[in-house]
Amino acid sequence: MRITVDHGLCDGLGQCTLVAPEVFALNDDERLEVAPDPAPELTQKVTAAARACPVRAITVEGA
Amino acid sequence: MVGAGLAGVRAGEALRAQGFSGKLTLVSDEPEPPYDRPPLTKQVVTGTLTEADIRLPGTAELDARWVRGVAAVGLDRERRRVRLADGTELPYDGLVLATGARARPWPGEVPADGVLTVRGLADVRRLRSALAGGAREVAVVGAGFVGVELASSLAALGVRVTLVEPFGLPLRVLGGSVPGLVAKAARRAGVQLLTGTGVRGFHAEGEQVRGVELADGSVLPARLVVVAIGMVPATEWLQGSGLALPSGRVHCDKRLFARTPDPSGRGDPRIVVAGDVARCDAVRSADGPVPLEHWSNAAAQGELAGRNLLAGPDTAQPYAHVPSFWTSAFGLRIRSVGLPGTGDRVAVEAGDPATDAVLEAHYRESRLVGAVSVNQGQLLAAYARRLHQAPEEAFLG
Repeated sequence: MRITVDHGLCDGLGQCTLVAPEVFALNDDERLEVAPDPAPELTQKVTAAARACPVRAITVEGA
Repeated sequence: MVGAGLAGVRAGEALRAQGFSGKLTLVSDEPEPPYDRPPLTKQVVTGTLTEADIRLPGTAELDARWVRGVAAVGLDRERRRVRLADGTELPYDGLVLATGARARPWPGEVPADGVLTVRGLADVRRLRSALAGGAREVAVVGAGFVGVELASSLAALGVRVTLVEPFGLPLRVLGGSVPGLVAKAARRAGVQLLTGTGVRGFHAEGEQVRGVELADGSVLPARLVVVAIGMVPATEWLQGSGLALPSGRVHCDKRLFARTPDPSGRGDPRIVVAGDVARCDAVRSADGPVPLEHWSNAAAQGELAGRNLLAGPDTAQPYAHVPSFWTSAFGLRIRSVGLPGTGDRVAVEAGDPATDAVLEAHYRESRLVGAVSVNQGQLLAAYARRLHQAPEEAFLG
């Protein structure tokens, strides 16, 4: 699974961090950080997090 | 799908993703293709996003028939037909109710020119054309989310804004110190904020509004007035359908099936409900079911509604969603999880309300019910997890 975040679109709304906190987190400046190489069993959560992004900044490939 | 906003479109996507290959029809009373509402009061007003930018993607892949600019006017559950304003009838095997809400109109006389409400794209077009026409003094009546976001956007455009709120501080639903922070930030941005000030009505010259008459008899001059006093669920067309409509919303069970007065308590197995129009048994405070009017709820509920409609009531999944919402105004980035307004105690758990960076947790009888952050969104995921992990004690299911 390959996760790409378009930081130009990402507004730090943090909706993905509520759905898949194992993979997505905001730093102290409310900028999004993504854990590298998430475990395959998180695939469903990660795709749900991408769908929960209001600005569609997250792309998931190979899910 | 009746209603083709976010909830209706997500329901359609879920039906297709689950392998539904039958005919899909989406009905909307708006003429535009589906779009996202959160940017309307912010980036679309200020002009940083265009109408094309906020279109919902993927609607072409739905392989659906679209009925646009036509409202649904009646539902006959026995014959399984939706009646449309143009006189046609749509038969259905399954129905998604996602008609959303309208802006609550001013409960009195309103001059024909210069008084607006804002809910959809057409409203924002009118607002932008009034601004382009030279409106430089705007009064916003109501300091809920729509009123505050609009006041912020208008101030950023250099418009002189007066924000009038009869019932207290802006965004008071968030509780704690956040409404006070918003008030301070609004004033800092140059907005004239009148709180605890009632509105009697409007002054006009001919049909053109000239001012807002306040409760003390004074008149606030304004060539443009935005009335932002909440929303009304769009369910009048369901009167007589036999569906339960408490407070005007469509009552649905925990699996999103529309409830009927049937004493068995069973919902209609062919009708699911999602988004602003729903009052769902799975979203509740200690006082009972709470309607949610947020993007994340419309997205999650729409998706589950589509899945559950196809699965049928016996294998449908209950709705288990931690409410969350965001807004930005006057440089404050505000986020919340849970139902912060429903607590009886507020605790500052990070930051400091004096500094525009704060996190407040809301408790009811010492149970966490929600949290609100200002410029501290990184802290909310942990609260969402706590809310999700204790569903039987909190507000879920």
